[in-house]
Amino acid sequence: MSAEGQVAGKGGYLKSLFPMDWDLVRHAGAEPVPYHLKKWWFCLGGTPLYLLVVQVLTGIALTFYYVPSPQEAYASVAAITNELRFGWYIRSLHKWAGNLMIVAVFLHLLRVYFTGAYRHPRQLNWCIGLALLGTTLTFGFTGYSLIYEQLSFWGATVATNLAEAVPVVGGHLAYFMRGGPAVGENTLTRFFILHIGVLPTAMFVLLGLHILLIRMHGVTELHFEGEKVTKEERFFRFWPEHATTELLIGVLLMYLLTILALVFPAGMGEPADPTQTPPHIKPEWYFYFSFRLLKLTSLHLSVALTVVGGAVVFCWPFIEEWLQRKYRVPESFSVVLGVIGFLGFLVLTVWESIAP
Amino acid sequence: MTLNTKRYVVAGLSFLFLASLLVVAYHESKRHREEVKPGPIVTATNESCVSCHRKDSAALVMEWERSRHAQQGIGCVDCHQAAEGEIDAWKHEGVWVSALVTPKDCSRCHVREYQEFAGSHHAKAGEILASLDNVLAEKAAGMPSTGNIADAVNGCWQCHGAIVKFKRDANGQVLREGKENKPVIDANTWPNSGMGRLNPDGSKGSCHACHSRHAFESKLSRSPENCGKCHMGPDHPQIEIYNESKHGIAFYANRDQMALDKRGDWVLGRDYSAAPTCATCHISSYMTPQGVFKGNSHDVGERISWTLRPVISTKLNMVVYADGYKEDYPEGKPLPAVGAQVDTKEKVVENEALVTKTVPRKVSQVVTWDQRRETMKGACLNCHNDTYVDNFYKQFDDLVVLYNEKFARPAQQLMDELKNDGVLKADAPFEHEVQWIFYELWHHEGRRARHGASMMGPDYTHWHGMYEVSKHFYTEFLPAVVHVAEEKSAALGNKYRQKVETMLNQLDHNWLNGLSPEEAEALRRMYKERYNQ
Repeated sequence: MSAEGQVAGKGGYLKSLFPMDWDLVRHAGAEPVPYHLKKWWFCLGGTPLYLLVVQVLTGIALTFYYVPSPQEAYASVAAITNELRFGWYIRSLHKWAGNLMIVAVFLHLLRVYFTGAYRHPRQLNWCIGLALLGTTLTFGFTGYSLIYEQLSFWGATVATNLAEAVPVVGGHLAYFMRGGPAVGENTLTRFFILHIGVLPTAMFVLLGLHILLIRMHGVTELHFEGEKVTKEERFFRFWPEHATTELLIGVLLMYLLTILALVFPAGMGEPADPTQTPPHIKPEWYFYFSFRLLKLTSLHLSVALTVVGGAVVFCWPFIEEWLQRKYRVPESFSVVLGVIGFLGFLVLTVWESIAP
Repeated sequence: MTLNTKRYVVAGLSFLFLASLLVVAYHESKRHREEVKPGPIVTATNESCVSCHRKDSAALVMEWERSRHAQQGIGCVDCHQAAEGEIDAWKHEGVWVSALVTPKDCSRCHVREYQEFAGSHHAKAGEILASLDNVLAEKAAGMPSTGNIADAVNGCWQCHGAIVKFKRDANGQVLREGKENKPVIDANTWPNSGMGRLNPDGSKGSCHACHSRHAFESKLSRSPENCGKCHMGPDHPQIEIYNESKHGIAFYANRDQMALDKRGDWVLGRDYSAAPTCATCHISSYMTPQGVFKGNSHDVGERISWTLRPVISTKLNMVVYADGYKEDYPEGKPLPAVGAQVDTKEKVVENEALVTKTVPRKVSQVVTWDQRRETMKGACLNCHNDTYVDNFYKQFDDLVVLYNEKFARPAQQLMDELKNDGVLKADAPFEHEVQWIFYELWHHEGRRARHGASMMGPDYTHWHGMYEVSKHFYTEFLPAVVHVAEEKSAALGNKYRQKVETMLNQLDHNWLNGLSPEEAEALRRMYKERYNQ
């Protein structure tokens, strides 16, 4: 029997066409899942992934009809919303899945931070997670701008002005984002390319690294006081047990998305008019904190605070290690700091929302 | 810190996060609701009207549908309802209605606006029916032999308002027609949306004059063109002057910055800043150091300190009575005390004719001309400083005084003397050429000059105004005075020739005899240097 015949005999004809180590794949999928993940609220890491799948599918559908030019962008979104069969539903799913994804990423971040799951040896994965959050927020910002309505247009103008205030590189960054000295024709094309090309690529690379590192380090085990877990129960199988839980969450999310799309379908504001500044400019809610900070301080100070704050969060696992080594700060320091920081974020967000 | 504690921290923060998101979502959806214009609400009462009239007069219904009335569910019957027995009422498809919607009808909801308007100059616009203007339209440009007063009907009354009348039979009963017994309205008196229309229910005015039906858009009534329908032309060219002024130029360049369609109060210095419109200065709200000055009073004359309409301008004080009725008191006329009982003269319609009645009223407030001016200045001060505004008023006052003293008062005196000498008859206002010239001197040219100065229109002040006044005073009016006197008798001719000569020898007029050598040389040199002529 030839070598090819032996392979075919063992795994079938198809395996001979794709000669990879299927045991490795099986091993990769058979990640031992720690006991605490039987509780569904620990499954928020998978939720953004599921929402990402929704975003990819609905995003591709929207791209079939969206026209990325200032003259036609608004009309094409209006046509998707009002004329295409199920266009409003696809667009609403895209809008709400995007919003929920940001919520889920924040919740995931909260859980990882406060349970200390970012600590050694998982510092790098924390940084990758933060990069994923940044990518997700940029997705939201660029996607909102593509509608090319008054608020999104002027939101983009304010955001690029903010970028301009970043020390040293701000001017270049803003010029790069706008494709010129002001938001215009080039900006829309750039945001479109970012939204459907650059960001998805970045997202998949970062997500691949994120999951790879999780797989290599294993999921952090969490032991609750007074909880009796036998040696056999410490881990359970990814497939089919954990995958079923995730699937169930996926179905529930689809229900939630559909309800949101039905009750609060994605609407349209006034078309963008570069000659007329609307009386109230608001970005999307996840940038409210930054917008309020801008109003409370100055342009440069608010940008500096945001950049420094972001850098501290990004490097926190390493900063904490250094603090513990040098000043022996207790573990609870991170918790207190995190509570203060997150409450600050919430206060600024709500404040901006209720301000006239 | 135990893992359980951390679990509670995560749960607590997560709930706070979600609660924050709900707060954000609530405010966003509220804001969205405010931005999205609600659609029309057709109530059961109006359903049958709308369903028929959507076919009979589709655009009318469409206009109503985009009105704020429609968004509040206020429809046809709410405004057009009438009571059985009212002169203009008929039973239409089972409902008593009237085609005529008067300020009294509007006052069922807009009480304050009705009361303010009722005391205003605008409400008295129909009283012109007993003026020289109306004589010209009905007599000079009318055909008394056939009763054709089409000039008055299509001209004067469309701005000033008509007395709304009905066709009557020999017994004086209102004629009715059709299976619904619809009253036959006198076509000379309606359609009419004149500002001071005299309605069968006793109310004065037409809200539609400014708030055009059936969309009733704020942006329309706040726009200067709306006032320009009537405030224009040779005798009161306010819109042309406004268009010429810096204010008008700023308005047309920045119309999209004016928030003209803003719902509710429209406040200068808060909602817009680009330019003032007619409404801004005369009736609207504006910001002051103490907060919003509530204008929007529907009394358009409230801030006016001069009257620029008569032969000789005078400053105007105002007496407000307990029932809201207002009277102008020209400066010099003794003002009553607050609380005093005064016999006021009010023009009302009785038996479809305008009559003057004496109504005793109690004085509740006296507003002097300078107080009225201060209210106007409040709007100016939103953009200009005290010195600027005070100096503007100085320039304006000086122009009015110049017109009054140099031309209007001497001309009026000559006309009075001609009457006293029996040259002119009091009951024949347009018998002689001098009467026409005099009329145009103050009613057209003199007003143009005064209005031009009041609203910063330099060309209307001078070339359409004072230049015309001067030219016609010297070259037409004075010769016509002498001419009409000569026609009466040679002696009267001599008398008036001497009067005119005496006048022309006064310092203000003797320039006609020639300039000084220095002035003449300066003129010659300028033309030589500038044009080589």
